[in-house]
Amino acid sequence: MEDFVYFFTFQDPSIAWVVLGITLLGVGSAYVGTFSFLDKKALLGDAISHAVLPGICMGFVLAGEKNPVYIVTGAFLSGALATFMSSWLKRNTKLSEDTIIATILSVFFGFGIVLLTALQKSGNPEVAGLNSFIFGNAIGISESDLLLYGGLAMVIILVLTLALKEFRLMVFDPEFGQAIGFPMKAITFLFNVLMILAVVIGIQAIGVVLMAALLITPGAAARFWTDRLNPLLILAAMFSVVSGILGTYVSFVIPQMPTGPWVVVFLSAFALISFLVSPKSGIVFRFFARKRYLEKTHREHLLKALYKAKESKKPGLTIEEIYGLYPFHKRETLQSISSLQKLGFTTKDQPIIKLTSKGISEAMRVVRLHRLWELYLNESMNIAPDHVHDSAEQLEHLITPELEALLEQRLNYPSVDPHQETIPRENNELR
Amino acid sequence: MITQAENPILEIHDLTVSYDQNPVLWNVDLSLPAGNLVGILGPNGAGKSTLIKAIMGLIPPTSGFVKIFDKPLNDVRARISYVPQRESVDWNFPASVLDVVMMGTYGKLGLFRRPGKKEKELAMQSLEQVGMAGFSKRQISELSGGQQQRVFIARALAQEADLYLMDEPFAGVDMATETAIFQLLRDMTTSGKTVIVVHHDIHSAMNFFDWLIMLNLHLVASGPKESVMNEEMLRKTYGGKLNLLTRVTDLIRQKDFNPLKG
Repeated sequence: MEDFVYFFTFQDPSIAWVVLGITLLGVGSAYVGTFSFLDKKALLGDAISHAVLPGICMGFVLAGEKNPVYIVTGAFLSGALATFMSSWLKRNTKLSEDTIIATILSVFFGFGIVLLTALQKSGNPEVAGLNSFIFGNAIGISESDLLLYGGLAMVIILVLTLALKEFRLMVFDPEFGQAIGFPMKAITFLFNVLMILAVVIGIQAIGVVLMAALLITPGAAARFWTDRLNPLLILAAMFSVVSGILGTYVSFVIPQMPTGPWVVVFLSAFALISFLVSPKSGIVFRFFARKRYLEKTHREHLLKALYKAKESKKPGLTIEEIYGLYPFHKRETLQSISSLQKLGFTTKDQPIIKLTSKGISEAMRVVRLHRLWELYLNESMNIAPDHVHDSAEQLEHLITPELEALLEQRLNYPSVDPHQETIPRENNELR
Repeated sequence: MITQAENPILEIHDLTVSYDQNPVLWNVDLSLPAGNLVGILGPNGAGKSTLIKAIMGLIPPTSGFVKIFDKPLNDVRARISYVPQRESVDWNFPASVLDVVMMGTYGKLGLFRRPGKKEKELAMQSLEQVGMAGFSKRQISELSGGQQQRVFIARALAQEADLYLMDEPFAGVDMATETAIFQLLRDMTTSGKTVIVVHHDIHSAMNFFDWLIMLNLHLVASGPKESVMNEEMLRKTYGGKLNLLTRVTDLIRQKDFNPLKG
């Protein structure tokens, strides 16, 4: 708790700096990553982030120490080479894109690990710091590193904000962009540069292995919540920043704990929550929507049964009779009976359950839709009367009042269905 | 049967186009008059879409050139509007109908300038013209095929061009939408604009267009509807007899390079 207060009140200026850096990094990489996610280029981000490792090592060798400018430049060049090679291979060979990306990723990363191991054997004491580039260490960032990484992140955010319209066109309809005379090749090139930069600024804090998660996961999680680009970008940035700060906090509290994996843990939590509970596309939401629908279906079937009892001149049905209609569904049946009563559609007259006046209207509506649909299938779709029941059993719960009016009109307000049963309306004698 | 137009709005000179190893259009040479509704007809794989993509400079030609309003394409882009095939974009992209139609104003805005109130009004007007004003806030993935097509046409209208090139605007739309779109194109040509449409249905083509271009890897016919719509031309365009051009294409495909490219 003490740590928590100490960290989040930012009384330590170095923590304030790190949090600021992580925030900029989060916003920048979420912006770029959301675009590449929408452009279905998620794997390219993963390849680039692994491919910067040899550049980091080369930068270290050339500088002889952990100089951020050398390392960032090396990482950028090696990421650029990987991007260039993947598009060159795609143009000039018949290899599929996933093959190319998998190859580039493993070749570059493998070479990077070879270089890193060789450096570790060289005995240079500065080499120890290089390990943090694998899984990231946000707390270990110095102020001069921060200026460089934060500055680059600002550049990314600025360029993306300025060219939002151009990048939107690049993802949605590049051919149209080309047709109106926009330099789509240059725009794609600029985007690739931003993508590599977004990877490079994360190598110190998140590490090369997991940087792709910071690019792609925020956009993917945010996509569950919105259908518009601007809210999508803002939400993705928020997920990314919050996860970044929480991950940094964990690696602050537990010494030697790398930041990258923890940021990914928090990001995944956001993605999982979005997947579960977001409206419309979340599975929990869909589960309950389906459950509600099934309950309504069951209620309406029960209303129909009560109405049919009325048609055969019975006052209602006893609970036992109702149970008999739905064997093995005692729990659902009980639930339907009690909710019909709550809705005011039925009353209980000692052992017998019968329809109220309101209930008769509702039951007639369902029966009417069922019989209208049967008649429609029989008359207009040439389906035999003994084959129309099952479809009507499903459609009676779905047909809207507008469609009902259309059905009535097309069938010219019929009085009986294909089985010679009366299609009930409000002026019916059973009223 | 190729009729050349006087004072043409569009001239195509000896245009040959290949996709990598596959030549898809051979020596197309034609010119079109202004203010017409022009249909491009031909069987599947005849190079209809390729022709309008080559006109828009989306595929560089192997040889030949195109002149529009008597000028090279790049000088007159602002006066030309291109409507790609509906399936060419991802309709799950997070955007509203209005967002997509606004893209029609990007060309005149130029790079890095944001659309403002004026552009929004223009986009709304265009939506009104295609009868989709009520859908402006709708997410594009929720639209039906015919509605998507109308959104694309609204985007083209927002470009305020003089020449329109449309790739299959009648594909996958219901009868009512087809009639509505046709009426709209008719109104556009009446007000002096030229509309070129890639089309797949011969029967409706007879009623829709003033001028017809018939393609089957090469140019079979180009001219006023009355003079080219006859049995001989249709047989040459759609006829079963295998075109020798396809045999040459096979030969070229077996080479390791494209000998037509310089």
